[in-house]
Amino acid sequence: MSVDCSNNIQPTTRPHADVPAGVFVVVPAYNEAPAIGAVLHELRAVYPNVVVVDDGSTDGTAEVARIAATYVLRHPINCGQGAALQTGIDFALLQGAEFIVTFDADGQHRVEDVAVLLSPILCGECDFTLGSRFLGTCVGIPPLRRKMLRLGVLFTRLVNGVNLTDAHNGFRAFSRRAAQRINLRLDRMAHATELIDQIRLSGLPFKEVPVQIRYTPYSLRKGQSTRGAIRIALHYLLGRVLL
Amino acid sequence: MNLFQILAIAIVTGLLALSLVATVRGWATRREGLVWAFVWLCTGVAIARPDLTVLVAGAMGIGRGADLVLYCAVIVMLIGFFMVYARLRRLRRDLTLLSRHLAIRDASPTPPPTNPPCPAAKQIDEKHYPQRP
Ligand SMILES: Nc1nc2c(ncn2[C@@H]2O[C@H](COP(=O)(O)OP(=O)(O)OP(=O)(O)O)[C@@H](O)[C@H]2O)c(=O)[nH]1
Ligand SMILES: [Mg+2]
Repeated sequence: MSVDCSNNIQPTTRPHADVPAGVFVVVPAYNEAPAIGAVLHELRAVYPNVVVVDDGSTDGTAEVARIAATYVLRHPINCGQGAALQTGIDFALLQGAEFIVTFDADGQHRVEDVAVLLSPILCGECDFTLGSRFLGTCVGIPPLRRKMLRLGVLFTRLVNGVNLTDAHNGFRAFSRRAAQRINLRLDRMAHATELIDQIRLSGLPFKEVPVQIRYTPYSLRKGQSTRGAIRIALHYLLGRVLL
Repeated sequence: MNLFQILAIAIVTGLLALSLVATVRGWATRREGLVWAFVWLCTGVAIARPDLTVLVAGAMGIGRGADLVLYCAVIVMLIGFFMVYARLRRLRRDLTLLSRHLAIRDASPTPPPTNPPCPAAKQIDEKHYPQRP
């Protein structure tokens, strides 16, 4: 990836040779066997280091992942997305990763956008980038889901005191030193808010970057429910009190 | 004594015996066993001599013995609830750390060895074997 440090970075899927060494893509996956194969194929065409963390899937996700991923790690039981991300980040750091991108296994993220997330970090402009579907685009998002995400943003502003446009996006990138500051302890989806806390506390500069999120019938069937969102908020607040 | 009292006391006596046996045989820690034995003893006394609860209740400014028992039961249950909840959370955390450690240890294909220890393993160590260097 030739690094363009002007402010208009275009999405790109250039082949291997251009990707700086030390870029690791971490893909948490829970029962994503139908989707993950295609996702990994696209990723591997550009990025040589793709780490799949199979979060105790029961549908053979790990077997599918083994065909295309560079590394497959497997939680013996389901621990939640936060734990899966932390495992992937720890592993990537152990392998000497300099840059880490987290990428969903359900086909909602675009491989092109990885370059967009990485480029401010490669340019030394900041240490974290957070993908934002509201700065970018979301294809096929149901109105209720959009409202929930807006509420999530409001929640983040009130509780974390950070003003973001999209607080619950699994598409993020970290520099090595930023990744070393991350220690997600809240298992389930509450980790998104926890992560923002840790970013803020680290004092390292961060930035939101426009990305595209695709909602497909598959991702909608598998994705988060409104009831889940309320549970997540409670879980996070409880976690703040108890941990 | 009415029929209820006889039945209830029989059950409570059985439970009391069980907690004592458990303590002696080492199925439960001594503290746990004694706490339970104490609980069953109090229950038995309250069932056999309800008039005693009235005395205690009166001393505490509560009108009826039954109310005293109810208040105590609610408070004890809430505390118990919270303790079980906290323990479940700790258990869940330890399970997660263990899963994460195993995942990194058994990554496939096996990556070249690295010097720094796996962070999940380090957290487990720090928590459970703090004396180890
Ligand atoms: N739901 C869920 N996802 C997990 C878990 N562990 C890892 N993941 C992965 O985390 C990624 C995001 O999960 P989603 O449930 O789609 O969450 P999301 O994309 O933030 O929410 P949507 O906008 O509804 O799709 C996927 O790649 C999952 O496979 C888990 O325990 N539960
Ligand atoms: Mg999704």
